[in-house]
Amino acid sequence: MQRTGENPTIENAVSQAAPESGTSLWQDAWLRLASNKLAMTGLCILVIIGLIAVLTPWIAPYSYSDQNLELGAIPPSASHWLGTDTFGRDLLTRIMYGSRISLMVGLLATAVALTIGVFWGTVSGYLGGRADAVMMRSVDILYALPFTIFIILLMVVFGRNLFLLFLAIGAIEWLTMARIVRGEVLSIRQQEYIEAAIAMGLSKPRIIFRHVLPNILGVVIVYTTLTIPNVILLESFLSFLGLGVQPPQSSWGLLISSGVETMEEYPWLLFFPAAILSATLFALNFLGDGLRDALDPRAYRD
Amino acid sequence: MFSFILKRFAQAIPVLLIVITGAFFLVRLAPGDPFSAEKALPPEVVKSLKQHYHMDQPLYVQYLKYLQGLLRGDFGPSFKYPGYSVTEIIGAGMPVTFELGFYALLIALVLGIGSGVIAALKPNTLQDYIPMSLAMTGICLPSYVLGPLLVLIFGIWLEWVPVSGWGYIPGDKILPSMTLGLVFAAYISRLARGGMLEILNQDFIRTAKAKGVSKPMIVVRHALRGGLQPVVSFLGPAIAGLLGGSFVIETIFQIPGLGRYYVQAAFNRDYTLILGMTVFFATLIILFNLLADIMLVWLNPKLHRSAK
Repeated sequence: MQRTGENPTIENAVSQAAPESGTSLWQDAWLRLASNKLAMTGLCILVIIGLIAVLTPWIAPYSYSDQNLELGAIPPSASHWLGTDTFGRDLLTRIMYGSRISLMVGLLATAVALTIGVFWGTVSGYLGGRADAVMMRSVDILYALPFTIFIILLMVVFGRNLFLLFLAIGAIEWLTMARIVRGEVLSIRQQEYIEAAIAMGLSKPRIIFRHVLPNILGVVIVYTTLTIPNVILLESFLSFLGLGVQPPQSSWGLLISSGVETMEEYPWLLFFPAAILSATLFALNFLGDGLRDALDPRAYRD
Repeated sequence: MFSFILKRFAQAIPVLLIVITGAFFLVRLAPGDPFSAEKALPPEVVKSLKQHYHMDQPLYVQYLKYLQGLLRGDFGPSFKYPGYSVTEIIGAGMPVTFELGFYALLIALVLGIGSGVIAALKPNTLQDYIPMSLAMTGICLPSYVLGPLLVLIFGIWLEWVPVSGWGYIPGDKILPSMTLGLVFAAYISRLARGGMLEILNQDFIRTAKAKGVSKPMIVVRHALRGGLQPVVSFLGPAIAGLLGGSFVIETIFQIPGLGRYYVQAAFNRDYTLILGMTVFFATLIILFNLLADIMLVWLNPKLHRSAK
């Protein structure tokens, strides 16, 4: 509908100055994203996988834990589209339930990382000076810690607890977010409108929430999209090693790990879970790259 | 330079201490002690066992004793492999894991830098798209998917290479090294491309071109040093990643290295072994991060000035 964003001639530039016909930053970004085929494909895949995951309890063809040993490991067929596993459980159903857990870990842990990271980065960047030095030094120290190993340690010590998994993964991923947000806030703080806001006597929290945060939203969205695949990878890594989600629950990592055990006889038990995991990672990465190009024109150079 | 190195070492020590302290108390806080899992040991036996491992003393004494031991390179005894010390187990697994990591890193650097530089030389052409699509595939295929797939294709169906073991039959080192290396090659390739693109657009490269320096010479003599900086700063995290990757690879290929011991110790709840290996891994990772930092400053003198 808005065509001004696509062809920035002088006329358009003039008309953009008039408020009723201008494209906002977000519309502009959306247009750029919509013209990126890879990113849109990624978005579609994610929406489909997300919808299926949400609707699983109502649309799953079978129960995820019902075993039927007579059916043990049959290849894909009309009644079981992706076949069954060695216990005769329907693989499609197990992948669907698995995606609920994998995506939930991905989203919740990212949300934890997002909250801490944005808060830490904004406060540090906005306050500056000594507070900034102390807060960023602590991020540096935490960066040096071998977190993957610590998560394994946590899982061993406190048992395989999903909630703990969210917290632990979130606790790693916030560090990069904090650094990126801080850098962004530092440059925004120099802008005149912030100076104006200070001159008007607005309180610090008000300036941060009303004027700083909305302007770093783009970077935060981009980085969030790129954090989710990392988190999903970490969860499936732990589940693969047997230190994450426990059967009869399922997650992609767990399904891959049991698929590996029987891949010689029943390769489809490995292929399908691996394919869905990879497809999701592909989609998230392409969408993230597309968003970066759309929201952060400075990064869009090559 | 020397004072910078000293300073970084001084910074690494508190980090290491935090790791050791955190790991120690986490393991000690764990619900139930290592002997509670055993089937109903007589109380006297438990008591003497605890005495043997100094577990009857207050926690802070145990902690100080542990630190003292670490200084001597003594990680204490293993609970689940009686008669073996943690140091011995680490010593047995280390050469295997280091060899695997070395091959993997070599593969990752050669393939990654090679393809990244090639892609950066002609951006947005086929010469760029093909290696970059492959790299994207590598990033989206984690080692626990890629490994089994390679085993299935090259080991089981084509029967070109052995599918497990380490140094038992000729050629059994190929698949694990490739699997671990390829994933990192993908990351390195993207980083190398990005870094090279940035450098190749700079004025001094144009000057060199204008002077008539040949293209390979420009890349080797002028562009690589700056263009590979992102790769070098990735090396620290990459080493950490290689260790994490070795957990998976060694489990898939049944390689008797550190990663496999660690995962098994996690299953067996062998607390002293877990603690010792955590401390050992942490030291390694911190050390390699430090080396990567130093190398980065060496490559980019600008950083050196600001580091002062």
